[in-house]
Amino acid sequence: MTDFDWMKIPYALLTVFIVVNFGMLLGAFIQKIGARVGRRHGIPIWQYYADLIKNYGLRTSITHGAMFYLGPVFRLTGGVGLLLFVPTIYGSYMFSNFSFAGDLILALYFVFFGTLGMALGDGESGHPNAAIGITRGLSQVTAAELPFALAVFAVALQYQTLSVTDIVAAQQGGMHNWTLFTNPLAVAAAMLGFLGSMMRPPFDVVIAPQEIPIGPPTEYHSSYLALMQTNRAIFPIAKIVIYMNLFFGGAASWPVFFLKVFALYMVSVIVGVVFPRFRVEQSIRWFLIWALPIGVLAILWV
Amino acid sequence: MSLFAPDRSQYPAPNPDGSLDIDLSSGKYLKLWHGPNHPGITGNMSVEITVCGDEVVEGKTHVGYLHRGFEKLMERRTFIQCFPIVCRICVPEPDFNEYCYAAAVEELAGLEVPEKAHWMRTLILEMGRINSYLMYLGGQAGALGQGVIGQWTTYARDLMLDRFEEMTGARIYHMFILPGGVRDDLPEGFAARMEETLREIESTVADVEKVMFHNAVFKKRTVGVGVIDPAWLDPYGITGPNARAAGVARDVRKDHPYLVYPQLDFEVATGQDSDIYTRAEVRRRDVLTSVDLIRQILARMPQDGPVMAKLPNVLHWKIPPGETYVRGECSRGEYGYYLVTDGSGYPRRVNVRGPSYTHAMALLERMLVNCNISDIAALMVSLHTYPPEIER
Repeated sequence: MTDFDWMKIPYALLTVFIVVNFGMLLGAFIQKIGARVGRRHGIPIWQYYADLIKNYGLRTSITHGAMFYLGPVFRLTGGVGLLLFVPTIYGSYMFSNFSFAGDLILALYFVFFGTLGMALGDGESGHPNAAIGITRGLSQVTAAELPFALAVFAVALQYQTLSVTDIVAAQQGGMHNWTLFTNPLAVAAAMLGFLGSMMRPPFDVVIAPQEIPIGPPTEYHSSYLALMQTNRAIFPIAKIVIYMNLFFGGAASWPVFFLKVFALYMVSVIVGVVFPRFRVEQSIRWFLIWALPIGVLAILWV
Repeated sequence: MSLFAPDRSQYPAPNPDGSLDIDLSSGKYLKLWHGPNHPGITGNMSVEITVCGDEVVEGKTHVGYLHRGFEKLMERRTFIQCFPIVCRICVPEPDFNEYCYAAAVEELAGLEVPEKAHWMRTLILEMGRINSYLMYLGGQAGALGQGVIGQWTTYARDLMLDRFEEMTGARIYHMFILPGGVRDDLPEGFAARMEETLREIESTVADVEKVMFHNAVFKKRTVGVGVIDPAWLDPYGITGPNARAAGVARDVRKDHPYLVYPQLDFEVATGQDSDIYTRAEVRRRDVLTSVDLIRQILARMPQDGPVMAKLPNVLHWKIPPGETYVRGECSRGEYGYYLVTDGSGYPRRVNVRGPSYTHAMALLERMLVNCNISDIAALMVSLHTYPPEIER
């Protein structure tokens, strides 16, 4: 504890503040893009704020046990943890957050952490359909994480480090140094996994209202739903920050950060807006047949 | 090879009456209530399913949530008072009820309907058919998470509702086809505005074809899924696109021609594979057939002439004793009205034969078995049923 810089805490909170607001605005903006594809106007850009404020103001009068209520807390912890243990802006002391030499391993853990928390929470909901949702969710997330994990290993081997900051540093000096160009197979595997982890079609059967009798957004309500909504603003951005740092040269300033995050988010949006969804076993097979071999090849490439 | 290849050996053998003795306490099975307020259910009905993992072992349909007793209501209303009720039996395509009821009354009352009214009735029925199919296409894609298709088709349907509004004064329940004819002539410039709408619908359907029918994931979810065995057609009373997708060109417009269909040039769309994809494809092609039929009707319809026969005093209208069955081809199959009169001012009995009655209950129960739980919504929608037709 002797070397800990306490000023990192307010800076980290500032990072969370910026990312939450960016995530809220980006979420609504992406909803509008989807709406325009469907010839609609879509929601107002401030709609996410209105929903969040309303839900945080509500309290529940039912109980399902402690674990049920800890589910959204775990989810949010996963999102915030993922964000705060990797550098947001490369080269910035203020926004380097709590990154350290082995932060890549911790980031991989945090990607999965929230999903596990939700599974435990859903399991205690007492709803018979929760088991179906948990099975689907964990199966699909695991299948999507496999190619991503292989891509991360490939990158770690390529740069001989488990530090996200060092990996970003190795990609500086021009676009040709990005992992996208130095190890395109790793990026391809990771991006296929990325599609699976964003909960958008064709990999959104876990939260599909038509195909499962009930899902977490229905089961959770009031301020617990608000916690999940907060996480929905943070977690995708935090995930994209990992991708941006590992594969696309990171971001040296906030404008570059906003641009890259938006561009990467749009990959899943463009695919999702026109595709129907796979069944769980179809999506698992898709990851195993298409994404996983590319991940293996990415390691062999290195 | 499918990971969910049906293997019934692990489940209890069916009893002679087809029921299963399922031991829920074994922990192997889970009973789920799917509906009635569920996004994967078409309308106000529900399905009680028993699943083993993701596979449905047994499914039972439950209806009755929307029962308003239309048939009984009509027995206590005069013939003209029944006319505004019948359209409520089917919300997305109400005009078929108006036509079938009016035609049955006209037949028993010996009313001669003017020529132009026949053309206008055919026009309305084809407009309603397009609307119903557009709603279906959006629902079919939506059941698999492709929400954008529903947004496009809703837009196109709204344009057709505009045409309905200027023609009848109403968007959903038109109450335009009366016993004796139709309420009014076409408004000025209707044909030109209809042509614009038809072009927009063709453009939308072309987009739908590219994004939905050429989509690899949509094919993955629908090809070979929810197959109707052609041997089931007669035992289950399967009609319309559900039968035509199984390779049987069954269409009342051709088999028992009515209105001006014999004077129109059209082919019945059919398919062979009888799965969800083929049923959707048959309906997509049917939209284009209806678009073509509307163009033919507007081009060949008499420009002048009455649209309504002279009716007796409808407040004291008594129809001679008799019975008749009038049928037509709606977007879901054969629609029929069986009307019995006893010489009084009220119908003695009205029985409505909606295609949803057969498709949404017995057929669905059979098709649910061995279905993946994720496919229930797509399967239900593919049968294109409207529960109000079941609850008459």
